[in-house]
Amino acid sequence: MKGNARLWEDTGYNWVMARLEPASPFGHALARAPRWYGPGEEGALAAELSRVEALRDLLETAGPALDGIAHILSEFRDIRNSLQRPAGAPMDEVELFEVKHFLLHLERLARAYGRVPALEGLEIRPMTGCLDLLDPSGRRLPAFSVENAFAPALEPVRAEKARVEGLLRQTEGKDRDALMARRSELVRREDRLELEARKRLTEALLRERETFLASMEAVGRLDLLLAKARLARRWSCCRPELTGEARVEAVDMVHPEVAAHLRERGGSFTPVSLTLERGTTVITGANMGGKSVTVKSLTLNLLLVQTGFFAFAGAFSTPLFDRVSLISADRQSVERGLSSFGAEVAALGEVLREGRGKFFCVALDEFARGTNPREGAALARALAEYLGRLNCVALMTTHYDGVSDAARRHYRVAGLGALDTAAIRKGEAPLDRLSRLMDYRLVEAGPGEPCPRDALRVCRLLELEPELMELFSKNI
Amino acid sequence: MTPMLAPLVGEAAAVTFIGLCKNAGKTTAMCRLMEELSGETLALTSVGRDGERTDVVTGTEKPELWVPSGTLFATARGMLPLCDVTLRVEGVTGVMTPLGEVGVFRALSDGFVQLAGPSAVGQLGPLSRTFRALGARRVLIDGAAGRRSLAGAEAGAAAILCAGASMDGGIPAIAAETAHVCKLFAAPEPEPPALRAALAGETGRYALFRPGGERLPLALEPGGQPVWQSLPREDCVLWVGGGVTSALLRTLARRGAPSAVAAPDATHFLCDRTSAETFFRCGGRLLAARRLRIAAVAANPWSAYGRHLDGPALAAALRAAVDVPVVDVGQGDTPRT
Repeated sequence: MKGNARLWEDTGYNWVMARLEPASPFGHALARAPRWYGPGEEGALAAELSRVEALRDLLETAGPALDGIAHILSEFRDIRNSLQRPAGAPMDEVELFEVKHFLLHLERLARAYGRVPALEGLEIRPMTGCLDLLDPSGRRLPAFSVENAFAPALEPVRAEKARVEGLLRQTEGKDRDALMARRSELVRREDRLELEARKRLTEALLRERETFLASMEAVGRLDLLLAKARLARRWSCCRPELTGEARVEAVDMVHPEVAAHLRERGGSFTPVSLTLERGTTVITGANMGGKSVTVKSLTLNLLLVQTGFFAFAGAFSTPLFDRVSLISADRQSVERGLSSFGAEVAALGEVLREGRGKFFCVALDEFARGTNPREGAALARALAEYLGRLNCVALMTTHYDGVSDAARRHYRVAGLGALDTAAIRKGEAPLDRLSRLMDYRLVEAGPGEPCPRDALRVCRLLELEPELMELFSKNI
Repeated sequence: MTPMLAPLVGEAAAVTFIGLCKNAGKTTAMCRLMEELSGETLALTSVGRDGERTDVVTGTEKPELWVPSGTLFATARGMLPLCDVTLRVEGVTGVMTPLGEVGVFRALSDGFVQLAGPSAVGQLGPLSRTFRALGARRVLIDGAAGRRSLAGAEAGAAAILCAGASMDGGIPAIAAETAHVCKLFAAPEPEPPALRAALAGETGRYALFRPGGERLPLALEPGGQPVWQSLPREDCVLWVGGGVTSALLRTLARRGAPSAVAAPDATHFLCDRTSAETFFRCGGRLLAARRLRIAAVAANPWSAYGRHLDGPALAAALRAAVDVPVVDVGQGDTPRT
């Protein structure tokens, strides 16, 4: 996967993954290491998205059939360890039972999958030959034992053993000793024959190792696709459009984690729309106006799309990037012993180094806010200009004036606008009041348009000490 | 063979064998019951590792478990090489042990098996359901020795308490200890229907109720133990979901106020005789949310350490000490080694 562990955490990608519900161990394994679709893989990604779309539509029309498939998927157990073994080490009875269990469920899954319209590029094939090997009677029962059919010599040994055990049931005292000795000898012969049979079965199964692995991969892919389709349906996600041009367009985009959090508190998420082009797009606006959430939402959706998921938006179109990054000073610096500014600069350096010769997307949340405002503004402006020269799409939020001059596009948060003091309700919690009065939508602004001065009003709405507010007003 | 244990166990769907100490003769009693119940499809499991020829803890010779063809049993995968029956794998349980995952097997021939079933509270129920789905009429559970495990009990289960010569102290000590355990198992189910309902649904480690069943607040320390000083001075019922230990009963006895301690069933009463007596003397009572009946005391005069006792004398001493039937499982048979 492209990007570091922190990126998946900070953008909320891990939050989304935690809500993905693959049913099988193979689906879980794939979800833990999602495939990254980079430039040139548009065809493969489109095919993946078509499969998700087809399954999402099927959830509407053929829910019970898919529930049946999900149930079979949940029955699979991971048998990869049994297939990775030193040569000549036979599987024990439990391992053979588990392989049979896998093959039985693969057969059931193939049958159930055959009843829904096939997904292009995904086949589920039963491994009938291997199953017949473990189930010579063809009864397809879940239990497994080393049957006489596996080794013809077993039958007479077991018959004789049963005869001796029958005699033992009727014999008391000393006479048992000879019978027990005879039985021990038969048990040893039976063990040897069983071991040879297990060896032969193991060898035969391991010859099909690649087919086993491919089948597990196919089962995992179907499982993951179904999970993606369910997620898309639950959150009304859209199928992203893949474009060839350096232009990202998000319409009514949401961040599911923030939206869920707001819903818990009785609020709602205001979807945002924005368009980015090659070069830098700058967002300015009030504190608490949702700029950081927009940056996170965009990065999250790009990561999701590039790993084959639908987007959390009304409509979403994007090209495929080699790399998607997010630079924010939220929490990373302290952990690494750097100042927030130092951490940002180090991260930027890495993004620029890694991005050399590549097509990348980088989102920066209030870059250089941790240093002195004069130099910070100059650096932010320089960066906006510099990124404009590279083969990248960049999104920056800032409070510094002059940065948007150097940008390709400029948005500002609609913000508190013309705030009417009559709108202030008594007894309302300050944060609730702020989120009620804040207009989180983005509006296009002209280059160089000064950053809104909302800090004073935000402080007032948050009910900061009156004496301090008075001094603050005077200073402005 | 004269049936001794089978009539006492009756129709109990599950029978737990509890040992007074290690090598108390649980396996001997279990073998005996299996022979008496021949013809029934039985399912066997153990709490912790058991059934092996040499006891892993004490290194003493132990009787092996010989099962008839058709018997179901649960054991860890690592024990399979020690089972000499022809077997069929019926399922896996998802329960992991140091000896591998516990599987469910059916013996396709007579022979020796080694049991190593799930040990944790809550794992026995699902296993019993699996056994029954596979056709078991009755589940026999080889419980841990010395009652050092919460063997757990299902509704309608019976217990067989195995008292053996392997315990130190001779006949008087064995009789006294047996009487103590029988007294613990005689702990009644709560009478007030509201309290009975409250305890039946309780899943926490600790909870506090009024004798009538009304829930009371219970302050817990960061470690999860109740803040003993905060217990009300009036009569109340303390629910203990884990083990009811000697230390716990002594703490409550020191409190002075009369109180009852309730546990899921009597296998949770791990307290020793002295502590229990102190607790009772101070007005304490024990309650079991689900009564586990001791169907019989199995007396075993044979000692794993060679200090064999006189069978009739041991049985007589036990009969004098307890109300439940006492059977001498060693009677007429020499234990197979």
